[in-house]
Formats: sequence, structure tokens, C-alpha cells
Amino acid sequence: MSVISLVALALLVMVAGGFYMGRTRAIKQVAGRSSELHSLPNYYGYYVALWTGFPALLLLAAYGLFGAASTHSWTVAELRAQAHEMSAQFEGDLAANSEYVQLESTLESLELTVNGLREELARLRRANDADRDPHLIQLRLEEQRSSRALLALAGTSIEDYRTGVATGMLVTARETGVAASIRAGFFLTHSDIVRAELFMSDARKIARGETPSELLPELEIVASRLTDHQNTLRNSVGLLVLALAAIALLWTRSQIQPQFRARNNVERLTTVLLIAASILSIITTIGIVLSMLFESMRFFSIIPIQDFLFGLHWSPQIAIREDQLGQSGAFGAIPLFAGTAMITLIAMLVAVPIGLFSAIYLSEYAAPKFRTIAKPVLEVLAGVPTVVFGFFALLTVGPAIRALFTSLGFESAVTQSALSAGLVMGVMIIPFISSLSDDVINAVPQSLRDGSYAMGATRSETVVHVVIPAALPGIFGAVLLAISRAIGETMIVVMAAGQGANLTANPLESVTTITVQIVALLTGDLEFEGPKTLSAFALGLTLFAVTLLMNVIALRVVQKYREKYD
Amino acid sequence: MTTAQAQATLYHDIPEARDVKVAIAGVDVHYGDKQALFDVSMQIPDRSVTAFIGPSGCGKSTFLRCVNRMNDTIDGAVVTGSLKIDGTEINDKTIDPVVLRASVGMVFQKPNPFPKSIYDNVAYGPKIHGLAATREELDGIVEQSLVKAGLWGEVSDRLTDPGTSLSGGQQQRLVIARAIAVNPEVILMDEPCSALDPIATAKVEELIDELRENYCIIMVTHSMAQAARVSQMTAFFHLGNLVEYGPTEEIFTNPRERRTQDYITGRFG
Repeated sequence: MSVISLVALALLVMVAGGFYMGRTRAIKQVAGRSSELHSLPNYYGYYVALWTGFPALLLLAAYGLFGAASTHSWTVAELRAQAHEMSAQFEGDLAANSEYVQLESTLESLELTVNGLREELARLRRANDADRDPHLIQLRLEEQRSSRALLALAGTSIEDYRTGVATGMLVTARETGVAASIRAGFFLTHSDIVRAELFMSDARKIARGETPSELLPELEIVASRLTDHQNTLRNSVGLLVLALAAIALLWTRSQIQPQFRARNNVERLTTVLLIAASILSIITTIGIVLSMLFESMRFFSIIPIQDFLFGLHWSPQIAIREDQLGQSGAFGAIPLFAGTAMITLIAMLVAVPIGLFSAIYLSEYAAPKFRTIAKPVLEVLAGVPTVVFGFFALLTVGPAIRALFTSLGFESAVTQSALSAGLVMGVMIIPFISSLSDDVINAVPQSLRDGSYAMGATRSETVVHVVIPAALPGIFGAVLLAISRAIGETMIVVMAAGQGANLTANPLESVTTITVQIVALLTGDLEFEGPKTLSAFALGLTLFAVTLLMNVIALRVVQKYREKYD
Repeated sequence: MTTAQAQATLYHDIPEARDVKVAIAGVDVHYGDKQALFDVSMQIPDRSVTAFIGPSGCGKSTFLRCVNRMNDTIDGAVVTGSLKIDGTEINDKTIDPVVLRASVGMVFQKPNPFPKSIYDNVAYGPKIHGLAATREELDGIVEQSLVKAGLWGEVSDRLTDPGTSLSGGQQQRLVIARAIAVNPEVILMDEPCSALDPIATAKVEELIDELRENYCIIMVTHSMAQAARVSQMTAFFHLGNLVEYGPTEEIFTNPRERRTQDYITGRFG
């Protein structure tokens, strides 16, 4: 059994023991007359147990989260320090190497050129309409592009040169019998990140007793260091945890007196826990919004916000080489907004009538027996994973629609169309609308229905003239929530709507949505500096703003409606 | 007490010069397995107020709901026996409850105006029954009903406001106006004042007293004083049985049944 499980077990025993000790001590102090205690005896137990368990548990959790990483960085830092002399010799050799010094000065001058060009471009772009010289901007852009390519090239050759020299030194070191740990440290200091990471993962494998990809003396020494450090860290953390728990146990136990307000203290502790939980979720939300905001601001510093919001052309690929066609790097998001709006509209045209009508049937007409079966069955639809719906849209609905419209003479009909994505998304949304509408229709007081029946109205007259008008605000809220769900839906449209950013009103064409583009922009190889990747954040922020607005309106409306009948 | 005596109390002669509007004989009501009313028989006069009194759960509201077949809307409710309005049997499958309810209006315990304007609340019945051919006619019906309900003066300048914006007492009179807009013959009232303050109650009682001139009104009330003030006939229900039925003065001053006396004097209930 591992040390950590033993510590955890001991902690558990201490918590249970703390509860028991707190409780018995409280009872003993009043000689069994529990009514003389400020709180019920159990609260004294909870008080001791909470203080015993929590700080120690937090420490244990921190170890679980960061233990491996800190062992790793400790080991690497130690090895690098040992290779300090060898590294110094390496740098000295390089500084004395005229070829290398030449390379370095080239790199510096290229950096200066690129920076100068960037500043000039920014100045040119900021210029007023009259002074703006598009030709000059174009010229400077091309210059910038070529000097950037040169810069990248220079950077790579410097890296290659350094790696070459370092490898040579390592070979010599092995021949002259330099200690394996120093060689490992030197390697970790001077190899590139990917190879260092592979090296460390092999070392971790050896430390765990698994088979590494290659067996080197350097790896073995690193593995043994890793194991040592891991054991030291684990043992000291284990001791610390137990000590913390023991101190807390003894201290809180000594606090217990008949007049000690254990109940209030326990309550305060639980309140702190609850607050921490809610703050955590709020902070996460704020963090997400802020990160989107900052990345979007970087994007808008490259592409003006009005070009993004009102531009009619979306083509985020930026040409890397001169001869690439159709990759102009246009970031006008209107086609995406239009595609999102069209698919959402189609989805709503499907979901609102069907969902609303089934809600009316279920709540007003259906026999209770049928209702108890049908309602959960309808809600199962909400539990179907959206990727399954996407599948269904791509493989069943899409081809069917294409076949139907081709036979009707629409030769241009395609499989990945706005129509198939919208239809299937509508089916997915049905349970949202029906379930929420069913709830609001049921919340319409029976007295209103009775009043209508007593006037000699039939069931359908009552539904149309009394129940629906009374439930309308709630139904409106349900529809808004469903719309924001549809706008944010990703999987179905990724699979079924296609990728082409067409600005069209024809539902048989393939369109693309905000969410699809975010997926497309953030999958594959990324470069986080370019506007292509950054535009995903701007799209995400737009999406967030729209759905937030919808949800706020919906919640307001529903709330207002609740107040009216409660 | 013998059965003959009991029959005598139940079939009390109704005052002369008033026709029998509703005649009930041997009505039983079951909710599922539970019997809520046992063999109720009585004759209710036209152009008068008949009050049903009795402790909670005694079946008086259930009985009231038999008269416009509102029990049909409750699952598992079964009404047997004979209920006649003007000699026509209404507890019969061939009678359409929707048509019946157009001539038997009902006012509920809690004011329940529809989520519509004041005008549309009153126009609701006439519209669904097609009582008005033109807009002018409908305007006329709405105005007359509001006048009869004593609400016209208070709302004539804000007919487009929502019905729910009125005060509780006004809402209850609006609901009465809605009921009389279809020109019913019988108006049922289920504790119409129990959710109102004393001033609004006084107004509604005054209105009931006026409406008596033209309608047969049957009301359920928990207030003995209200029964004494506004009704001409009173029926006392207990545990699903009609215990005693007769002119209000007699019930309150000289009840024949011990249980009636105990209830009226507040000894149980």
C-alpha cells in the first residue's frame, strides 16, 4: 500500500476519532447532562472533525495536483545546476566561434528591420483618409513578409548550430567519462523543448518500472533522482498532513467547554465552504469572459471592429506563400451571422409549433396516464447527445433532402445544407420548448380555466383565449432560451451544415455558423499571433454577448410572469 | 326523528308567488371511491337568493358545481340523480354542458379575471356564444353588464386596462359582470366574498341583492351573517347530507334540527 493511501487512511481515522473525541469530551464536561451544553453534542464532534480534516485534506489535494510537476521541476533544476560548469564552457566556446557570432549579429539586425517595419506600418495605417497611401502600405507589407521569413530562417539556423555544438560536446563528454548526471543536466539545458520532454517522459517511465523507448545511463540516473525526490516529497508531505491534522485535533479539542458555541462555529465553517464553491464558479465565468475579451481586443487591434461586424466576406486563411489562391484573410462576419440566423430560424420553425402543440396537448388534453408516459419519453430526446443528432443529419436527413429536391428539379441541392442542419436542430430543441411550455401552462391557475368553462367555453376555446394568453410570457421565455441554445449549438452544424461561408437566403445551400467557424479556426496547427486564430475569440465573444442578452431577457420575462401568479 | 319528519324538513314549501327554478331529486356524487354527497333533494325558487351553509368539506360546493355540471371537468367525479332547470333534465348525457353553462353562470371564491382587458373579460362570453352581431351590440352588452354589476362608473374610462389591475372587490364584480353578460338564468356563487375585505363585501352583497330581481342566485357561504343578510332560502349541509332547508328567517330563528341550531350558534363546525 502506498504511503499516500496510508496517510489518507490515517487522516480518515483521525477525522472519525476527532468527531468522537469532541463529542465525548463535551458530554463529559457536563457529566452527561447534555442540556447544559450550548449546542447538541454532535456539533462539538463536527467542529473537531471539520478542523482536523479540512486543512490536512487541502494540503493532500495540493500535493495530488502539483506533486508530480514539482518533483519534475526540482529534478530538472538540480541536474541543470550540476551541469553548470559544462554549460559555461559551451557558451564560452560559442562566443569564441566567429561563425556563430556572425549568425547572431545577422539575427539582431533582422529583428531591428522587422520592428521598424511594424512601427512604420502602424503609423501608415493610423493616417487619415487623405494621407493614407494604400500603395505604400502594400509595399511595406511585402517587405515585412520577406524580412519575417528571413528572420525565421536565421532563428532556425542559430538553433541548429547550437544543437550541433551541444551534441558534439556530449559525445566528447561521454568518451572522457564525465558523470552521467552532468551529461543529463547539460542535455536538458541545451536541447529543444520537445526532445527534453521526451527524455523526461522516458525517465519517468523507468522510474515507474515501465519500458522506455531507449535505455541510456543518463536516463537511469535521472530516473533514480526522480524516484528519490518523489519519495522525499511524498514522505514530508505525508508527515506534514498528519502533523497538521494532529495539531488541529488537539487544539480544537482543548477549546471545548460547555459554553463553547460549537453549532455557530460549524455553521460558519459550512458557510465558508458554500461561499467558496459559489465564488469558484463565478471566478471561472469572469475568467472566461476576460480571456475572450483580451484576445478579442488583440484581434480588433489588427482587424478593425467595424470590418469584423459589418464585413460581407469571410475567408480567414491567410496566404503563407505568394502563389496561394483564395486565401485573402477577410474577416467579415456577416455571412456567419446570417448562416447562424438562418439555421436558428429553420430550427425554430420546426421546434416552436411542434413543441408548443405537444405541450398544449400534454397539459390540457392528454389523460393523466398518457401524460405520465409521454412527457418523460419526450424529455429523453433532450438527453440524446448532439453528436448523434449530427450523425443523423449528415447520414439520413441530408441525403434525403438532396434526393427530394434534386427530383423536384433543384440541381444545386447539396447534402450539407442549412435545411438539414436546421431541421435536425429543431428536433433537438423540441423537448426544451415542450417541457418549459408545459411547465408554464401548468402554472396557469386552474381558477382561470374554471372561469372559462363556467362561461360555457369549450376546452379549445379556453386554451386559445385564456390559457395561452396567460402563459404567453412564459412561452416567450422558453422560446428565447431555446434560441440561445440553437445559436450556441455546435455539433450538429459542424457535421451537417458544411463549411462554406456563403451569404445566401437559399436553405439548400451549405452555410456556416459562428460555432462551426470557431471549431475550424481552433483545430489543427495553431499560431496564436495571427488574426486567424484570434478571430475565434472575437466570434466567441459575439456569441457570448448574444446568448447572454437572450438569456437575460428570457429570465426577466419569466420572472415577471412568476410574480403575477404566485 | 323519523324519515317522514326528515322528508318534511327537506321538502319545505317554498314561498308562494315564486316558481321553482331548479328541482333536485336524489342526487349522489362520488369522487372515485369516495361519496361526497348523499341523496340530496331540494327545490330552489326563481328570483331569489338561496344560501348553502355548512362546515368545510360538507359537500355544498360539490353540490353547487352539479348545477352547471362543472364536476364534469374533474376526473373521476360521478353525479347521479335528477337535476332539472325549468323542468328540463340537465344531468343527462344528451345535454351539452357547454350549452348549459351559457345559461348557468358561475362566480368563484377567488376573483379570476382573465389576463385580458376589462372590456374583453366581459365580452368573452358574448363573443364565444355569438350573442352580438356587431361591434355596437357588443359594446352595448358590455356596458349593460358592467352597469348591472355596479362597476360601470368605476371603469368606464379605462375599459382597455387589464382586468387584473382592478382591486379585489372590483375584480369580483367584474367577474359577476362577465357572468351576467351572457344573460344566464341561474347564477352560482361559490363563497364570492371570502377573499374580499368588509367594504368590498358590502358592495358585492348589495349587488347580489339587486340581481335577485332578475336571476335565480345560489350561493355558498361560510358567513352565517351573510346568509342571513342576503338570502331568502337557506340550506344546511353536513357530512354530505342536506340536513335542513327552508326560508332563511326560519332556519336562523327556529331551526327544526338540532345540528342546524348547533352550527348556527357556533357550537360546532
